[in-house]
Amino acid sequence: MTRVAVVGIGHSRFGRRTDVNIGELAFESIKQAIDDAGVERRDIGNVVVGSAGGWYEESLPAVVVGEYAGLSGAGTMRVEAACASGSAAVKAAYNSILSGETEVAMAVGVEKMTEVDSPTSVELIGRAGSYTWEFENYGMTFPAYYALYAVAHMNQFGTTQEDLARVSVKAHRYGASNPLAHFQKEITLEKAMGSQMVAWPLKLYDACPLSDGSATVVLASEEAAKKLTDTPVWIRGVGYSSDTANLSRRGNYVGLRAAVEAAARAYAMAKVSPKDIDVATAHDCFTIAELMAYEDLGFCKKGEGAKMIREGETELGGRIPVNLDGGLKAKGHPIGATGVSMAVEITKQLRGEAGRHQAQIKKGLGLTHNIGGTGHYAYVTVYSRD
Amino acid sequence: MSEAPALHSRRPLTLRFDIPISRTHEFWDSLRAGRFVTTKCSKCGNVSFPPQSDCSKCMGSEFHWVDLGQDATLVTYTQVMTVPASFSAEGSYTVAIAEFRGGVKVLAWLEGVRAEDATSGMKLKVEARTRSDGSPYYVFVPA
Repeated sequence: MTRVAVVGIGHSRFGRRTDVNIGELAFESIKQAIDDAGVERRDIGNVVVGSAGGWYEESLPAVVVGEYAGLSGAGTMRVEAACASGSAAVKAAYNSILSGETEVAMAVGVEKMTEVDSPTSVELIGRAGSYTWEFENYGMTFPAYYALYAVAHMNQFGTTQEDLARVSVKAHRYGASNPLAHFQKEITLEKAMGSQMVAWPLKLYDACPLSDGSATVVLASEEAAKKLTDTPVWIRGVGYSSDTANLSRRGNYVGLRAAVEAAARAYAMAKVSPKDIDVATAHDCFTIAELMAYEDLGFCKKGEGAKMIREGETELGGRIPVNLDGGLKAKGHPIGATGVSMAVEITKQLRGEAGRHQAQIKKGLGLTHNIGGTGHYAYVTVYSRD
Repeated sequence: MSEAPALHSRRPLTLRFDIPISRTHEFWDSLRAGRFVTTKCSKCGNVSFPPQSDCSKCMGSEFHWVDLGQDATLVTYTQVMTVPASFSAEGSYTVAIAEFRGGVKVLAWLEGVRAEDATSGMKLKVEARTRSDGSPYYVFVPA
């Protein structure tokens, strides 16, 4: 079986991008990724577009983006795994190379969330779960779903609102020097703690923003990668899993079963363990999600996520640095773009191109943890320098 | 900072779904009569909530209705402060997941107690409610 590597990366500025439409936004990262990879567009056999959609005008983003970037004619599809659509796109592109169908494939993650007003965006995300039983009569929102987990985690393990705020402070610290981040400003613990409540006990600063953005990776087979680049970053393990649509059917509210299973599968495939990982991105759509990610990924024991953030273990220079690009919280979370953005960040880290936020790479291993919905989908991917 | 030039679309889209409930309408009929029921698989005995006409455990399609009673225990909760567009008339509301005897869990609004004053393990009762248009729903209240 061939190995598959990331050979090109591209990333748009994330934020409120009223200056560009969906095609223009995708183009920004596609062009960078093609240039970075040094491939010809005609050699890309499969273009997979990760986008949840619904908040922008185009119903068929894959063909709209393909036409705009001159990729029409390639095999293409749009994939959806909610906020993990980007990782699903990487997985689909990866599979098309593994199957021998093509030597080079592309995963584009793109989302345009600010063309509709914010209450409508809140509505569209709130409907993502079980519409009939948890939205129609009860108006659940994305922060509210995660708040159910936060309350249970706080009650069971003594995690505090201040612990959650610390995750936000960390995200903003790294976002402040990421020129592509939605928010590029440091914040204080007091500011996070004093922000408006959106779904008790989660506040505005516990929540990622509604963002526009795109990210692209070009993937290649081992043979093609060796011709294209001296710094391939290999996909060593991909694990994915899912959980029930209805939150009422979950076994507990202190972790995401899908994430635990996805991580176990990714570690097994890559033949590595959590302690081998040099640097990671975790899906911090809400601060509580990052703490649960530490636990679900096995970076610490269940219930000890808060201890990791209190002790700075996930800071730059800590035991396992997490979200050195600012994470979803500060970098922004254009739903479909996020998973691909994570792949871009880990590729930069493993290439040694992360600048001020370069983690120390000892074993040459990085990990992305990308969750769709409220643990409805989970994708964990292990990347390797060697 | 002025807004960037935009083509303000003139073709608004309103979506209203007619969701089939032919196979599970007894849930809503019972609720109107003040009973909280759900489906139990006649083959393997799996009790489902939400109710479903096909069993997700054994894939059997024979089922009967069982009464879940009124009593439930609070598992987790939140208070929704920033509400979706279609709930803008509701103000803020508390949502809870509570567990019935036998382990079935249900998500619904929790009335009569603010999230900050709630505690997990609190005893609750499920009650039927009717909206102004006559449509039934259910809420939890402190027992």
